[in-house]
Amino acid sequence: MVTFFATNAPALVSPGLDLEQSFSQTLEGFGLSDQAARLIWLPLPMLLVLVAAVVGVLVTVWLERKISAAVQQRIGPEYAGALGVLQPLADGLKLLVKEDIIPARADGLLFTLGPVLVVVPVILSWLIVPFGQNLLISNVGVGIFLWISLSSVQPIGLLMSGYASNNKYSLLGGLRAAAQSISYEIPLALAVLAVVMMSNSLSTVDIVSQQTGAGILSWNIWRQPVGFLIFWICALAECERLPFDLPEAEEELVAGYQTEYAGMKFALFYLGSYINLVLSALLVSVLYLGGWGFPVPVEWLAGWLGQSVDAPLVQVITGATGIVMTVLKAYLLVFIAILLRWTTPRVRIDQLLDLGWKFLLPLALVNLLVTAALKLAFPVAFGG
Amino acid sequence: MFGFLKQVGDYTRDAVDAARNLTQGLAVTFDHMKRRPVTVQYPYEKLIPSERYRGRIHYEFDKCIACEVCVRVCPINLPVVDWVMNKETKKKELRNYSIDFGVCIFCGNCVEYCPTNCLSMTEEYELAAFDRHSLNFDNVALGRLPTSVTTDPAVQPLRELAYLPAGEVHPHGVDPARPRAGQRPDQVLASLKRDAAGTAGNEGESATSTNNSKESAE
Repeated sequence: MVTFFATNAPALVSPGLDLEQSFSQTLEGFGLSDQAARLIWLPLPMLLVLVAAVVGVLVTVWLERKISAAVQQRIGPEYAGALGVLQPLADGLKLLVKEDIIPARADGLLFTLGPVLVVVPVILSWLIVPFGQNLLISNVGVGIFLWISLSSVQPIGLLMSGYASNNKYSLLGGLRAAAQSISYEIPLALAVLAVVMMSNSLSTVDIVSQQTGAGILSWNIWRQPVGFLIFWICALAECERLPFDLPEAEEELVAGYQTEYAGMKFALFYLGSYINLVLSALLVSVLYLGGWGFPVPVEWLAGWLGQSVDAPLVQVITGATGIVMTVLKAYLLVFIAILLRWTTPRVRIDQLLDLGWKFLLPLALVNLLVTAALKLAFPVAFGG
Repeated sequence: MFGFLKQVGDYTRDAVDAARNLTQGLAVTFDHMKRRPVTVQYPYEKLIPSERYRGRIHYEFDKCIACEVCVRVCPINLPVVDWVMNKETKKKELRNYSIDFGVCIFCGNCVEYCPTNCLSMTEEYELAAFDRHSLNFDNVALGRLPTSVTTDPAVQPLRELAYLPAGEVHPHGVDPARPRAGQRPDQVLASLKRDAAGTAGNEGESATSTNNSKESAE
């Protein structure tokens, strides 16, 4: 799906499937021009990723409800479809037909714009999530930086919806969301910077390629254990997941900035928060857990089985395992996030800011410095 | 310099402690996932109310002597006893009796004091209604017997924790024939009677045994 293929990819990694190329070739075989083929191709991966994101959210919502139930020794949704798998769909349908209310004396325009500003950057960030060597919408050179900058648009939307609701709880929730996002953005960016420093590239494809050398042993988590923890904590804070869900703390703020929202606008917030969770989990797996990489390099497996890496069947299998591995790793992290939700109590706002500014920020800085020093000292192991 | 190092050391120790606590907590929640759900799926499964459950009150019109003791012992004088004096027979003639279960607190005082035992507690607790006036039960409604959880074919009866066999924690799939842990009231009574016979019972002993027989009868 990629338009531009990274030229400095290690020789060990095969270029893998290039669906766009084959698709264009097929269309050109029908007599279409190069540009027309490209025009027909362009919306396909976008649509596919949008569908993947929404399906990912449905799965996550179902998992959240089922795992939460299991942790609390309940049964959870059971009647909507087998094991309640259709429950998130039923929830969505209900929200779809609910009345859309704009509260009295609220700012209608900002009130409507808020959820849009929250959801759009999150969906846009899926642009850079790779499911395989060529299985991403766009291998932009600034990849991971694009995600960080997009995710800093989100607090504006939160603040906007909180302020425009004309409600004290919404305002407080919006302010908390903004404070939280700003405090946790910095350690998050510093943790990412350490990874970027090791892989010499901001592109997500390059970051994963650099981790594919020796399977599980070459994953970044072994070289960046502290960075991994910092990133995961910050990602939870960015997603407003439970130890850090102050913006919507229901005991004190009703539902925070979502208090006045109903129907489809509320659904957008709901969708946004879960897409964000899946996205964060995907990015953790990309940055630290080797992305689409199998614990044992596929090249080795192909070699042991006496197959060529470039054989069509091997390529298809490689692509499929890539997608499966990425999703598997991401959902493992989602599972941990859900388990954490029922394990940890909510932090106070002062504890939250203390953790962000006084603990994670210095730690991330030290981590960055140590990574730089190690890179200079052992260029072989730390991507010199 | 050393002060700073100590600070760093303390800080690290705190962080490690926090991480350990977190892992312990995660172990607990993870362990819970293996356990069986305790959910009683209500309309399809119901817990069997205990024998002294204070549910909706049952009333037998024919036993009632219209003495109004139930009204006097009621915290809010709730039962309405509608009687007239029959001049010829010089007896009270009961016409209507009603209790409003929208107001009743199910304390059971009326049942306790009724001299003719015409009032009793049932195990019915499903008293939801669309109109609060429909909760004002007259003597006909009060005389109806509720469907028992154990005999209702649409309901899977489940035993409460205290009524499960020894060692069982979950009510699902427990054989109904297996007796509960410990002695049943009638067994307690039998053993008390045995003891009384053994000590060639005096007055005190017989008093306890009558008390017990009264309780087991409930």
